[in-house]
Amino acid sequence: MNYKSIISLCLISLLLFTCEKDDICAEGSAITPQLIVTFFDETNPTQRKNVEDLLVFGLDDNNQTVPFQSSTITTTDSIAFPLRTDVNITKIVFWNETFTNDNGTPDDNEDDFTDTVNQDIIDFSYMRSDVYVSRACGFIANYLDLNATLVPDSDNWILNTEIVKENVENEIEAHVKIFH
Amino acid sequence: MLKYFISTSLFCLSFLTFAQNDSISQDSVKYKNKYGLRVGADLGKLARTLLEDEYTGFEINADYRLTKNIYIAGEIGNEEKTTSTEFLNSTAKGSYFKAGIDYNLYENWLDMDNMIYAGFRVGASTFTQTINSYTIYDTNAEGIWGQNTVTEPREFSSLSAIWGELIIGIKAETLNNLYVGINMQLKGRVTEKEPDNFENLYIPGFDRTYDSGSFGIAFGYSLSYRIPLYKKAK
Repeated sequence: MNYKSIISLCLISLLLFTCEKDDICAEGSAITPQLIVTFFDETNPTQRKNVEDLLVFGLDDNNQTVPFQSSTITTTDSIAFPLRTDVNITKIVFWNETFTNDNGTPDDNEDDFTDTVNQDIIDFSYMRSDVYVSRACGFIANYLDLNATLVPDSDNWILNTEIVKENVENEIEAHVKIFH
Repeated sequence: MLKYFISTSLFCLSFLTFAQNDSISQDSVKYKNKYGLRVGADLGKLARTLLEDEYTGFEINADYRLTKNIYIAGEIGNEEKTTSTEFLNSTAKGSYFKAGIDYNLYENWLDMDNMIYAGFRVGASTFTQTINSYTIYDTNAEGIWGQNTVTEPREFSSLSAIWGELIIGIKAETLNNLYVGINMQLKGRVTEKEPDNFENLYIPGFDRTYDSGSFGIAFGYSLSYRIPLYKKAK
């Protein structure tokens, strides 16, 4: 071994170790899964059924609404939203047949508000289990023993719930069915 | 990374300066080599202990000259290092030892006693790792539910690792029997005991680990003293 080869060896090893990509949590790493809910027809339980003008919000500890990224009025048969990691229960409010009320002034959007007709609340409870991902991302949450409790009111448009996957570990399949 | 760059550059430069003596022919006078036990400490680890909040460590190194160019060498040390990223803060703490052979590649001029060497080590470490805190990585809940940071420390004890090292370096006699040295160690883990639902982010003696595999790199800056035992002709 001559000195030139030693020098090239240390230069090569320097190159090998310059890229510390390990320290940045890269996109595409494992993520904390969202809860995926699908809507089914109560009268025909194997059939998916759209919810007309659905709007979904979270409820915080003071029962104030918390908007999700998916909190826009849509007609859909499925929706996904994040669960809380600081407590073992997430309260979700579902509105159907929501519409934008123009407050009597169709030309003025500023005083528009969202009118809700029927509000139903479901409490999702679970045990949190944190899963190690990497040095840069640290831990993500998984949710075990998922339970859904419909809060009864005088006029529930949601009739029933069913847990499809007790453990929320990924976003591949729906975790909860809601019948309406 | 800058520190690696500077140390590697210095390391390479030192080879260049030594290499200049290479072509000078041997004198006809017989010079003698000193044999003995050389004992020292790693100055880099002492400096980092003083300068870095997240590092405490020391290392004692020794080598014993067997023949003109072959030395038995080893290190023993203790380190505590906190690794913190945006989402995770953990501390590794433990002891290690390394043993192996250094081979001197440098032909000394006159009675000088410097080394440019290559060698290998087998290293072993036992340590604990503690997760001090972590923030659950949840991009979907960002700005919605707020981040949850778990601050309950969790300790994983009786972890261990065994690795092999290739080492290249220099040692220069600056005063009589007093040597300063710098070296670079390329390492590969052979086995390790990892915690459940976590991994070894830092292994005392091995330095930090990388996601890409079982390889690692570290640098040493030694100050050592040779206890001369006897002399032998070159």
